[in-house]
Amino acid sequence: MNLARMQWPERIVAGDVVKVRLLVQHPMDTGYLQDLLGKMVPRNVIRLLTCKLGAREVLRVEPSSGLAANPLFEFFVRATETVEMHVEWIDDRGNRGEHKQTMIVLPTVS
Amino acid sequence: MNTPLTHAGAERRHFLKVSSTATAGLSLGFFVPERANAAETPQLNVWVEIEANDIIIIRYARAEMGQGSMTSAPMIIAEELDADWKKVRVEYATAHENLRTKRAYGDMASVGSRTIRNSQEYLRKAGATAREMLVAAAAQQWGVPASECKASLNKVTHAASKRSLSYGQLAAAAAKLEAPKEVKLKDPKDWTIIGKPIPRIDIPDIVTGRIKYGIDTQLPGMLHAAVAACPVFNGKVKSMDASKVENRRGIVKVLNMGEFVAVVADNWWRAKEALREVSVDWDVGEHGTLSSAAIMTHFKAGMEQADLAVARNDGNAPEALGKAVKVIEADYFTPYLAHATMEPMVCTAWLQGDQLEVWSSTQNPEGTLAVSAATAGIPQANVKVHPVQLGGGLGRKSPQDFTRQAVMIAKAMAGKPVKMLWTREEEIQHGLYRPASLMRFKAGMDASGKVDALHIRVSAPSILATLLKLPLPKGIDGQAVASFNDHPYDIPNTLVDYAQRNTNVPVGFWRSVGHSQNPFGRECFIDELALAAGKDPVAFRLDMLPNNEKSKRDRSILEAVTKAAGWGSKLPAGVFRGVAETEGYGSWTACVCEVSVNAKNEVKIHRVVIGIDPGYAVNPDNIVAQFQGSVVHGLTAIFWGENTIKEGRVEQSNFHDYRMMRLNEMPKVEVVIAPTGGFWGGVGEPAQAPLAPALVNAISAAMGKRIRSLPLKNHGLSLVKA
Amino acid sequence: MSVSDAYAPSRRRWLQHSASLGLAWATVQASSAYAQKMESGELKTLAQMISPITQGAKLLQQDVSISAPVLADNGSLVQLGVHVQSPMTVQDHVTHLYLLSQRNPVTRMAVFHMGPWNGRAEINTRVRLAGTQAVVALARLSSGEFRYAQADIIVTESACVDAS
Repeated sequence: MNLARMQWPERIVAGDVVKVRLLVQHPMDTGYLQDLLGKMVPRNVIRLLTCKLGAREVLRVEPSSGLAANPLFEFFVRATETVEMHVEWIDDRGNRGEHKQTMIVLPTVS
Repeated sequence: MNTPLTHAGAERRHFLKVSSTATAGLSLGFFVPERANAAETPQLNVWVEIEANDIIIIRYARAEMGQGSMTSAPMIIAEELDADWKKVRVEYATAHENLRTKRAYGDMASVGSRTIRNSQEYLRKAGATAREMLVAAAAQQWGVPASECKASLNKVTHAASKRSLSYGQLAAAAAKLEAPKEVKLKDPKDWTIIGKPIPRIDIPDIVTGRIKYGIDTQLPGMLHAAVAACPVFNGKVKSMDASKVENRRGIVKVLNMGEFVAVVADNWWRAKEALREVSVDWDVGEHGTLSSAAIMTHFKAGMEQADLAVARNDGNAPEALGKAVKVIEADYFTPYLAHATMEPMVCTAWLQGDQLEVWSSTQNPEGTLAVSAATAGIPQANVKVHPVQLGGGLGRKSPQDFTRQAVMIAKAMAGKPVKMLWTREEEIQHGLYRPASLMRFKAGMDASGKVDALHIRVSAPSILATLLKLPLPKGIDGQAVASFNDHPYDIPNTLVDYAQRNTNVPVGFWRSVGHSQNPFGRECFIDELALAAGKDPVAFRLDMLPNNEKSKRDRSILEAVTKAAGWGSKLPAGVFRGVAETEGYGSWTACVCEVSVNAKNEVKIHRVVIGIDPGYAVNPDNIVAQFQGSVVHGLTAIFWGENTIKEGRVEQSNFHDYRMMRLNEMPKVEVVIAPTGGFWGGVGEPAQAPLAPALVNAISAAMGKRIRSLPLKNHGLSLVKA
Repeated sequence: MSVSDAYAPSRRRWLQHSASLGLAWATVQASSAYAQKMESGELKTLAQMISPITQGAKLLQQDVSISAPVLADNGSLVQLGVHVQSPMTVQDHVTHLYLLSQRNPVTRMAVFHMGPWNGRAEINTRVRLAGTQAVVALARLSSGEFRYAQADIIVTESACVDAS
């Protein structure tokens, strides 16, 4: 089950500052809403999300209930070489998710 | 009548040009749908423009749905402007102008009885600023100090040299001056326009049929759409078969929009008739078995819930109740209510490329703009929301559900204007209902009849959590506990708690929201306590109101209305009185009803005496009209109003089973306006609050038994002319 | 050095800068008189939102731009983009970006940790707004200084309970 989608431009050359678009499937339940059976839907939001480019962490996010359901993150990274992007997250219930995707980076034309 | 709708602004390509002599032909004081000379008229600020012929154009930035603030708000500007009201015309400000000017007009939503009280300060400042600029222009022209000049009735006069100039003569020069940073506002005792019963400016056009409601929108080549959403709320289209109607004359397209189906045709009758023959297989999900009985069970379970959200907790009510000499308990219930605005939901949308124009009967044009842009997938700057008069709003037309539908249809019919109009059935069955509410009251009294403990528990849906999806960190929806958590009575141990019990029935803001039902429970229960204590209901309330600044106004309105009603004087045999007092929307209200009930359970309402302290009464005639209208709306709901659920859907569909009051049933209504000054309170909604309890208290007295739920028809009661 | 000495310089700075913060709040603060009766939460002051994070460090209202709609059609999903002018070098970069809400039950909507590896200090996300309010984007720089910007967002659907 793929709970995340990541996108970046097709052609990336080393040295480019690349825009990464990450969409994670998660209800981000606030804990303030009663369901139709009269029970409060307990709070469950992603509390930490990290993105590593190879070995280096390039993004760390501490979300809250203030982020919309199915959180979207767009951020930038400096491309240096073809590398695996590894996204991981954990929510209030302790559920972990992850997504891996290889970013192909062409060497700079010298 | 097929006159094209006109609107102020630069875009005139699809409308007939109105000649510049149009103002001469318009009824005095009426609003200007279009001015050919708009671009050249000197603008003193965004609210005030003055033509060379001395006509003053005042902008109105909210909606007009019969509440009359299209007259009262300009009155406020005209007052500080020292304008001659006979020369004032009113023009709408638009949501797209507001966006372009970075919200120069501020909030444009007509909700919460807030137009006057929230805008009065900046409107007064706008009028005063323009006046100062006119005076400065005259002073400059005459070479005299501005302090020697006086503005009055469209003229600036320099008494010492007996010179005067009209605003029309001064406007161009004044518009070039810099606006003063500080202006002095008039003392209310000097008001000459505010406080006067000036006739509403749209009356002549309403009476002659010239008025343009959203439903009257006509555009060249316009198509018409009739829509139907799933009769079970939140259901979706599984499959649709339009083969019977697709090729019929006049039918342009049948659309499956997922949440609803739409038939687009060359006239609305054809669209509506064809829609009836489109067969839709709906996916109702798990909600196809919901019933009113199941909802009541759900509410009752809420009453027994542990860990309820607490809205107020003074002292220790449970303990005090345990020790009380006398304990009185009662459950009250109010049903779901559809709004039944006379004009159903209607919205016209025209998408041309990435440019969108919308004519929507909406209470919230900025909401319309934002939702239209999002639905069409275009920038907000590309949307124009043209103002129209609303045939009733009542809180139903502030949400944008129907706007979304219209724009979705317009997108599918790209290039053609489409007017989407709901049938009455659709309006009643796809409402945003006043939440049904179960209220439990428990009070503890000592031997002398003094109430020292009160516990109120509400089990009801939350509008804020479900419609607006607002977080409720303390679990309290203020509307669900309105008039409970802020009750004025001096009861040292007060506990108010709330069980949020949502159902699949969508809820929304019905005129006066929580105040349309909670005061019914509260003020009827207070009467039950008065009865138990053997005290007169008015004296009982006055005794319980603390002697402080805050309760001053509760006392004064209660005294004013009971005095007007002659409370305490002898009544003919069989006639009984009931009273109620409430506070809401910044105003204080009270009501006394006189009724008799015969052996056939027919109720005759001999008198309704209903009053308000709105602080300042901007237009007394309009307040009377609002209150009379509120009584029509209120009595309709009290006697017959309920929407029941069976198999997941609303049972009622039109006025045969969701009855409206008839002309010949209307009782005499006496309105008491008792402004105590010093604040600005709302007028559109507060009247609903004391009416039901005052009436039901009178009926309960007449029948010798308590009525604890609405509508009254469920108790076998009917209304006859007194 | 006594405790009060250690405090004195930063406390003075905090008082100075929080006083200057007050001026920036004119538009939204004007409605705070009505704010107390609002259903959707009380409006916090700028100082209440920012000071717990900056704790007296130098704060300038510059270099940060927020892109968000003026009118949001609903509060459950509001696009929010923030860009901080920064070379994003090892010597000079953004270390943290805070998205702060004036009215939500949780003030810190999200915190983003960044570094020179990002190349550009820009984030786009979608937030929930509990009614019309101001949002603040607060950036911490590698120098320890802060930069911020503020944007007023009107949540049109909650007009019924907002009092703006």
